Amino acid sequence: MPNPYIPMLTIIKSIVSENQANDIKTLELEFKNEEDYNKFNYIPGQFAEISLIGKGESPIGIASSPTEEGTIKFTIKKMGTVTSGFHDCNIGDVIGVRGPFGNGWPVEDMKGKDIVVIGGGFAFSTLRSLITYLLNENHRKDYEKITVIYGNRDPGEVLYRDILEEWKKHDNIEVVLTIDREVEGWKDKVGFVAPIVKEVGPSSDNAIAVVCGPPIMIKTTIAVLEELKFKDEQILNSLEMRMKCGIGKCGRCNIGNKYVCIDGPVFSLAELKKLPAEY
Amino acid sequence: MQEMILMKDQVAKLFTELSEEYNVFAPIKDNGYIAYRKITNVEEIEFDYFNSKIPPKEILFPQMEVLFEYKTDGKNVIEIEDRKDLDEKNLLFGIRPCDAHSFVLLEQFFAFGNYQDEIFLKKKENSIIVGIGCNSPKSTCFCTSVNGYPFQKDDMDIFLVDLGDKYLVEAVSDKGRELIQRFAWLSKASKADVKKGQELAKKAEDLITTKLDLTNTSECLESNFSNKIWEEISENCLGCGSCSFLCPTCTCFDVIDENAQYENRGRRIRIWDTCQFCLYTLHTSGHNPRNSSIERCRNRVLHKFSYYPINYGLIGCVGCGRCIQACPVNNDLREIIKKINNIKTKEEENIIA
Repeated sequence: MPNPYIPMLTIIKSIVSENQANDIKTLELEFKNEEDYNKFNYIPGQFAEISLIGKGESPIGIASSPTEEGTIKFTIKKMGTVTSGFHDCNIGDVIGVRGPFGNGWPVEDMKGKDIVVIGGGFAFSTLRSLITYLLNENHRKDYEKITVIYGNRDPGEVLYRDILEEWKKHDNIEVVLTIDREVEGWKDKVGFVAPIVKEVGPSSDNAIAVVCGPPIMIKTTIAVLEELKFKDEQILNSLEMRMKCGIGKCGRCNIGNKYVCIDGPVFSLAELKKLPAEY
Repeated sequence: MQEMILMKDQVAKLFTELSEEYNVFAPIKDNGYIAYRKITNVEEIEFDYFNSKIPPKEILFPQMEVLFEYKTDGKNVIEIEDRKDLDEKNLLFGIRPCDAHSFVLLEQFFAFGNYQDEIFLKKKENSIIVGIGCNSPKSTCFCTSVNGYPFQKDDMDIFLVDLGDKYLVEAVSDKGRELIQRFAWLSKASKADVKKGQELAKKAEDLITTKLDLTNTSECLESNFSNKIWEEISENCLGCGSCSFLCPTCTCFDVIDENAQYENRGRRIRIWDTCQFCLYTLHTSGHNPRNSSIERCRNRVLHKFSYYPINYGLIGCVGCGRCIQACPVNNDLREIIKKINNIKTKEEENIIA
């Protein structure tokens, strides 16, 4: 077995600034070696350790779907040294990638069900991956109704605008966008995510709800989902944690005896309730 | 296999025969403390020692270790170089039973799951452990509480007993047997030598006075995660991390890149880290899942006595007592365990009342 800390090398193929503040960018990466690309088999919801060699490594959710062949995408908010480094990159620069890591969204177990995707803020990247995957012509028939509820502070923070419009054109999908406060020209909903979920009122019958966002949004949304009779097993979360290795060795992402990097990042609410609340 | 005798004045001869093939690590005096170092001269070996300050885990999992090296064109990486030294053979001489057991735990941990830490595992595979019984354990030793004892040899390849001017030598593993067979000049041990070894073993075990009952500790820890006792336990902890930095079973590390900026090259390294530091779990957003010493102290104890047993079926502590010796505020792991064991369940309390 090879040294698990050595990254595969990729080249930046495109860079898209995703928001008005210009602190969220999506990097599209192409593997230098085709062999590496062929080995990089992932499902939505998994993450990778991506590095700017010389600056460091960060765990980032994979924003592309495996159905988008040829490249992989990561949406990165400018926060610390490494992520700021990514923001300073140009097309053609070299990025190290290790992965895919983590369990990902259980796309097999979700088959035959209504899928309710609830996202808030920039924690939408692996949801982009999931929805793109579900809407792919090879997979769409495996799933029932898709409801997407995506909230942001203001219109300038909405990620993936073009693709959101594309999604709306599909059958049997409801895409609901909301912003916290009213802004002139905004045609969609206004209000926090939780009350909008209540308003939309997705049925819990044969459904799976996927919730990603800031802690307060998750907390309030789960309360609404429980009102809608979603059971703990039907509610999925993806957790964030400080990580270094991605392979269960560096230690810091543990919650009780589980490691978010290998046992997660996706946990059902039922699983989370069994773990100590240290996340 | 028949026990052999190695005279202490023959160690030099042994070293000469081994040092071509092996990196020999042995206890030496380093700045007033005992440390396991690669030796080049047999004179360096310290024969009369209790144990090292830093556990011999550092031989195979050093405090700072290169993961890989890289070359850049000034901005972008153009070449990555893997470690090339992992096939070197190591001989670890004079390892105490507690530390020998730690290698079993470390190997279990680094091999666990779908991802193997090949850096550690290869080194471990290429190492031979020559351990030694503890004739005089200290008051802080509690190996007998964690399935060990001062003459526990199972985790070694070769087991030595210090008989004063000589060692009683016993092959434990096939690897050890093979090595011993190469030294035809070793003499056979007499019945008296073997008997003396047994007496020393008995005497050593009697010297360990701590006896903790860990039968229900894992469950007790699990069910008392939110118990107020953790406030009491962590109250005087300074968060210095000495307990975990000196722990033979702690494995946590940080990863950073080091650059030789003007030479267009650098290396990615790992360095020991500890769950006792606030930065260890701090998210970039500012959120910290283990924000206070209550959570951090609790994590260390639960990791060793609850998460380890659940995940690997082993206790994550070898009873070496280093954390007890090093703690600047005298937090004693044994006392913590006793406190945990003494937490009464609500039902029990009701019965007493």
